[in-house]
Amino acid sequence: MTNPRVVISPSGTSALRVASALPDREAGWRLVHHLARFLDASRVPGVACVIPTYDAVLVEIDPIDVSLDGLRDYLAQAAEQIDVDRPLSQRPREFDVPVLYDLAGELDLRDVADAQGLSVDEVVRLHSEPAYVVRCLGAPGGSPMLDGPPFPRPVPRLASPRPHVPQGVVSVAGRQATITPAAAPGGWPLIGRTPLTVLDLGAEPFVPYEPGDVIRFRPIEADEYASLLGTRMEAR
Amino acid sequence: MSAGALTFIEAGSTQVTDLGRRRGPRYGVPVNGALDQRSARIANILVGNSDVEPLLELTALDVEFVPDVDILLAVTGADGHLTVDGVGRPSNQPVSVRAGETVALRDLQGGLRAYVAVRGSFDVPRLLGSCAPDSVLGFGGRVAAGQAIAVRRSTPVIFNQHFAAELYCLDVPRLPTGFVIDVTDGPDIADFAGTAGRLFDQPYLVTPTSNHIGLRMTGPLPERTAGGEVLSRGVPVGAVEVPPGDELLVLHRGRGVTAGYPVLAVVTPGSLDLLAQVRPGQRVRFRRMSTSGAAARARADRVELEALRLRVQSVFSALDALSTATTGRTLS
Repeated sequence: MTNPRVVISPSGTSALRVASALPDREAGWRLVHHLARFLDASRVPGVACVIPTYDAVLVEIDPIDVSLDGLRDYLAQAAEQIDVDRPLSQRPREFDVPVLYDLAGELDLRDVADAQGLSVDEVVRLHSEPAYVVRCLGAPGGSPMLDGPPFPRPVPRLASPRPHVPQGVVSVAGRQATITPAAAPGGWPLIGRTPLTVLDLGAEPFVPYEPGDVIRFRPIEADEYASLLGTRMEAR
Repeated sequence: MSAGALTFIEAGSTQVTDLGRRRGPRYGVPVNGALDQRSARIANILVGNSDVEPLLELTALDVEFVPDVDILLAVTGADGHLTVDGVGRPSNQPVSVRAGETVALRDLQGGLRAYVAVRGSFDVPRLLGSCAPDSVLGFGGRVAAGQAIAVRRSTPVIFNQHFAAELYCLDVPRLPTGFVIDVTDGPDIADFAGTAGRLFDQPYLVTPTSNHIGLRMTGPLPERTAGGEVLSRGVPVGAVEVPPGDELLVLHRGRGVTAGYPVLAVVTPGSLDLLAQVRPGQRVRFRRMSTSGAAARARADRVELEALRLRVQSVFSALDALSTATTGRTLS
């Protein structure tokens, strides 16, 4: 066999991490998400849950029903069968997310700008220009995990995480960006907030986007924030 | 359809939960559910329920409630003093309670969490198929004093008219004593180079900031020697991480499903149950184990529970035959 596409490592007794070994990052991302969807659809006995992220998928198992070794071989074979060029969705949905950026200095926008050696306005421009692909759903509450804005350098995490981050905040860390659908503790610097309500516990999944969809941020003023507050986040 | 309700006089720190939201992690939502899964399963098994049925999880504090129908319940997990109308009754056995009698569970010791299952279980709201509270989503929560929880069915009282003794004694497998926590190597153990072994050098002290999301511990910290940005990845329940600061973090069932810290080690399923019983201020010691050894242990533990399930079934069938013959009552 040529170089395997994935590196599979046990993550304890009840999970395997399947990480892409493909040199192309985009192909690796498609690989782990296609693999996750395949596992979901085929209801493999003993597989409890799959958590696909950027370059890896965590496959949670019930060790009573399946052995890690047995599943490892199966996953290695399944990964070889996947068409890594196939897009995750034929027609990605697009979401416009209005953001009241932290120009008032209540959050961390100033610190983020200083650490980048940029002005606050430049940080807002860099953050609101790109079309971001939703890479995966993360913590907390199905946050859309995005590749970060094209900042000169990674954004340092907060020295001490906040015990309570309200829902709707827009944050960046490292080379990543996200929106927080549900209040939780968090260590990512906050640069603004959206008036949209992201979480809907009546829906499955609870968030309106899925990996492969596209999110754009749009700067707004305080009055528009107030008028949009509580509006549900929906595809364009 | 509910048959009746439990009304709480004293609610302590009690939740209605189950084995967890297994479809949650797919959508960025933690699995949550009973932290001591084994004790939760045993409680449901003892009353003839399926393992996944909703039950009560008590954390540290006393509870007192009154059912308005006859019920059969079982208490497992941390040792406590169970009384029905003031009369002591055994834990780890099915216990009949008449409508209107007061059930109290007090003085939890030797552990932090106890479980109370009721035959037929409870009618409670579910989210993605699970009633497990999720503090981040704002779903479910603690039971409040005065609250009533719907019970799905009543169970006629089984009582020995001739002896004061219990009618049965089911041999319930006990948790190991002493807090030795088994872990297998994590997928990122290489990031810690030669310092990973510090995990096994000395006991760790569990700090009061510990909760269902994770336990924080102080002790000799392994150091991450590999540098660079770590992309968020799925983290397993039981992941042992070394975040910035001076504490070790062991993630439990309320953990965020993705994180950017390398995973040094992962606690085995059986030891996760044990960690659910550790109180802040107590010390734990980590012990290294192979994944095949840990899986074999998990299977052996489950075999014990299946054997218990069979014993419970035969007791119920025998009592059913007995009560039909003498009193006309059935345990259906």
